[in-house]
Amino acid sequence: MKHDYLDKYSRLDSFVHRVDPRAKLICFFLAVAAVVSEPRGDITGFPFYYLLIFMLLAASRIPVVFVLKRCLIASPFIVMAAGVLPLSYVLSPSTSSLSPDVMLFHSLSILLKAYAAVILLTLLASTEKFHCLLNGLQKLKFPPILGIMSALMYRYIFILNDEMLRTARARKSRTPGKSRISRFRIYGNQAALIFLRAKKRAQDVYNAMLSRGFKGDFPEYNGLRWRIQDGLFSLVFLALYTGVRFGL
Amino acid sequence: MKDQQGTIDINNLWFSYEKDHPVLRGVNLSIKNQERFGIIGPSGAGKSTLLLHLNGLLQGKGEVKIGDREVKKDTVPEIRSRVGMVFQNPDDQLFNPTVEEDIAFGPLNMGLKPDEVKLRIKEALKEMRLEGFEKKASHHLSYGERKRVALATVLAMRPQIIAFDEPFSNLDPSMVEQLLHIIKELPATVVIVSQEIIPVVACCDKVAVLKEGKIVTTGPSYEVAKDKEMLRSCSLDFSIYESVCKKLFS
Repeated sequence: MKHDYLDKYSRLDSFVHRVDPRAKLICFFLAVAAVVSEPRGDITGFPFYYLLIFMLLAASRIPVVFVLKRCLIASPFIVMAAGVLPLSYVLSPSTSSLSPDVMLFHSLSILLKAYAAVILLTLLASTEKFHCLLNGLQKLKFPPILGIMSALMYRYIFILNDEMLRTARARKSRTPGKSRISRFRIYGNQAALIFLRAKKRAQDVYNAMLSRGFKGDFPEYNGLRWRIQDGLFSLVFLALYTGVRFGL
Repeated sequence: MKDQQGTIDINNLWFSYEKDHPVLRGVNLSIKNQERFGIIGPSGAGKSTLLLHLNGLLQGKGEVKIGDREVKKDTVPEIRSRVGMVFQNPDDQLFNPTVEEDIAFGPLNMGLKPDEVKLRIKEALKEMRLEGFEKKASHHLSYGERKRVALATVLAMRPQIIAFDEPFSNLDPSMVEQLLHIIKELPATVVIVSQEIIPVVACCDKVAVLKEGKIVTTGPSYEVAKDKEMLRSCSLDFSIYESVCKKLFS
């Protein structure tokens, strides 16, 4: 079974990968905040933001195609949000007088902000192992329940995926050629079966965790160490982003 | 007193998942310290359900005692450090990114210091002949290796009792042989539930047969295995293997 599709490139070795997860979490979330808080319709800062993002991407050695695929997954939502905005302007009496150019720039800024955020978060998830990110969040004093929920969700996603692959294999092996029965009915049955089986396996996993003393939190094995390089990375990264954001 | 911590006493244990459909019906068992004890029975007999009671994962009516401690809500944390469970599917047991971190999970939950945890990881890997696997991802290992890692995760907790759920399923014959050897050497009381009589008889001193939630018989493993009539009545007939072996070695 394929088990590393979420943080697929987290095992690469680059200077971005080596940065402490806490530094990455702070930098990436503040970068997203800087990008998202750009005034609506103002796109002058985006070439710099994207330049910084692509420099990081190149340094991290994560394939651009992989990042583009991630963007593609988010595209329907982003394009819909950007596309609906001019329509809402036209329909609202207070904004209907805006010129088409302004509306276009507003839509464009939504597109640019959303894609920048998606790429930044993809970079974050791909340059750090998931459990290290959770560890970082825990150290940054995020509510522990969020960490536990994310960790369990991450574990159970694989179970769902496993069961989905198994049932799909069983279905394919018994539906040679084109199925005569309504495909939707088969898919419906398959989905129900996946959830039932996944529930059973999730319970088994949880039992296995309980039997080894799981009390609701994941103990830390390899403690995080903040090095000078992490501080430097954070300083430079944040200086660049705040510089662009506030036009320094 | 320490010698008694690996004993198991089950008295009149009843359990049901659904009302009026008991899975366990008044089970009584007594397992000695360091004994290798097999529980065999057909599918749906309640073997795995019984096993989950040893660790407090299920709690039915009746008494389950591990050493001098009764399994109750307030004793469960201590019981879980005494009774290690090796589940049927190793993938359910391994959820950390590396073998090392998976093995560390139990000892860390017991509150052990990092140096002690590292030592236990090293020892558990050595016992399972998995030296050098520390940094490997569990999902990149073969099924047999994952089974051994799952056992290592339990060994690192140094339990007084190790309970195996269907340990021989999906293993090739050489891996079964390896596992039998490992089980015989384990420094703990061992409880195995399985449908496969031959490997259970090969490694256990005593065997109990469970049918429809009741213990049908208990006794020395070879004596129980000789009672063909009783085994047939419990859908555990293995005469097909016997006849194949006779033909092979006559």
